[in-house]
Amino acid sequence: MARNELILTDVTKRFGGLTAVDALSFKVEEGQIYGIIGPNGAGKTTVFNCITGIYKSEEGLVNWRGEEIRGMTPYQIVDRGIVRTFQTIRLFGQMSVAENIMSGRHIKSTQSWWHGIIPTPGKIKDELENWKKVEEQLDFFKLSEFAATPVGSLPYGIQRRVEIARAMAVEPTLLILDEPAAGLNDKETLELLETIFKIRDKGVTVLLIEHDMDMVMEVTDYLTVINFGKKIAEGTPEDIQKNPAVIEAYLGSEDDDDE
Amino acid sequence: MKELQKFAYPIFFVVMAILPHLLDDRWQAVAITFLIFAVVALSQDIILGKSGMFNMGQALFFGMGAYTTAILNNEYGWSIIATIPLAIIIPALFGILLAGPIVHLRGDYLLVVTIGFNIVFVQVLQNNLGGITGGPNGIFGLDSLRFLNFDLTSQISVYYFAFVVLLLTLWVMHNLAGSKPGRALHYLREDQLAAESIGINTRVYKIFAFGLGAGIAGLAGTVYATQYSAVSPEAFEFIQSVLFFSIVLVGGSSVPGVLIGVFVMFVLPEIFREFATWRYFIFGFAMIAAMILRPRGIWPATFGKIPKFLIKENNHGA
Repeated sequence: MARNELILTDVTKRFGGLTAVDALSFKVEEGQIYGIIGPNGAGKTTVFNCITGIYKSEEGLVNWRGEEIRGMTPYQIVDRGIVRTFQTIRLFGQMSVAENIMSGRHIKSTQSWWHGIIPTPGKIKDELENWKKVEEQLDFFKLSEFAATPVGSLPYGIQRRVEIARAMAVEPTLLILDEPAAGLNDKETLELLETIFKIRDKGVTVLLIEHDMDMVMEVTDYLTVINFGKKIAEGTPEDIQKNPAVIEAYLGSEDDDDE
Repeated sequence: MKELQKFAYPIFFVVMAILPHLLDDRWQAVAITFLIFAVVALSQDIILGKSGMFNMGQALFFGMGAYTTAILNNEYGWSIIATIPLAIIIPALFGILLAGPIVHLRGDYLLVVTIGFNIVFVQVLQNNLGGITGGPNGIFGLDSLRFLNFDLTSQISVYYFAFVVLLLTLWVMHNLAGSKPGRALHYLREDQLAAESIGINTRVYKIFAFGLGAGIAGLAGTVYATQYSAVSPEAFEFIQSVLFFSIVLVGGSSVPGVLIGVFVMFVLPEIFREFATWRYFIFGFAMIAAMILRPRGIWPATFGKIPKFLIKENNHGA
């Protein structure tokens, strides 16, 4: 079996006349925390949408573990171990925290469609096993006290945690986080950092977009900087901080920092 | 609410079990209608309430089940009981076939397409397709209920037939609520993109909801055909679908809500027959008031249960 590597080769995504992602290539290696940064509108989220099957890129290759996943549907890609979160939190608002996390167990559950009509001992056992997994995630993300609370009524910072917990319930190989620190205060951002390191220690590769430069420099092993859909630099955080092209692209957009 | 439900269910079942012995003929008929329409409304709830798909054609599947029973009994001499499997399977298959090409449509478009299906269905019945639907008059003179060697002609037998069908439906919905497919329906209703991104093949589960809802409605159709020993096209008009649709919206996507909705729509008008000319006027206003004051329904949906061991002490809002 091929290594757990994600390799993008010359991925291009156009919307009408606009080229949102322009011949972008990068490689995420197993066990890395990989960052993608860039100014507003640089096409970062579009890249994620191309990887996770929400968009299909017009050109290029998206290779995961030696398999071409470009053009697959989002659920097929989840089935191959790639799970994402969203920049604007997308939870099932009226449902409880536990049920939200349970959605991550969907593809791991052995139940078939007809188990929705007729229960069997196997189905009952499967239900219990998956709820136990939910309990693990609730403990890991310190969400136990909110298990039965409708997620829509919780503060923003906790909702972020629920979204990552839901993604982790899938037991992914590659976790994709779209601006996980957006809208968090300093204390919550620090907790998030710890969580990301703990997730990496579990053997999960993490790919993230982030706007918070301090956080990116602290958390990532390797970075790709994009602007106007093109890669302008890549390297370790130390390299990137010294790179003149990055400084120019980034400092130029400091004023409109909030996306 | 939860405590109330714990007591209310056993009481409801006991009352429903002894009810026909307390009623005269006319009210027995009303009670049977309540049971049948409750089953259809619950089947609509699977599609509209649980999965959030705007299906305005539930009378189609209801009628398809009724006609399947009527045709098999009248033309081919099957006993009523023997027609049940096909009266479930045929509407379910049609539900799956019809849903296949349309479930990706957004709410309002789906609504218009399902209305179209319902109208076409009634037209087919009225025009006596294949010479077996009996045209505008429908099919009448069906056999009475017969099981093994018991002749179950009495209205009370039909009542218990309908009651068993309701219990079966409630059992299926209970199983659905605590299962992977049932939760998948909730997820896709709440946020389809998020559901896809967590690994749910939303298309398959939408079609599943249509198939299941159609099958249950078809079974209710068999009971309906048994009650009247007849079927005719006007009972399955699009306006009936509108009623089932509004019952789920007004009642809220929960079993008590749907039962209250059916009671208000079909039983109250019988009780207040003297005010017959006023009743739709009053119900129209009641629907408007309910939607403004309780936009999620009189008895809103509570989502799937979570196991007790997850609910820790000092839990918020359990």
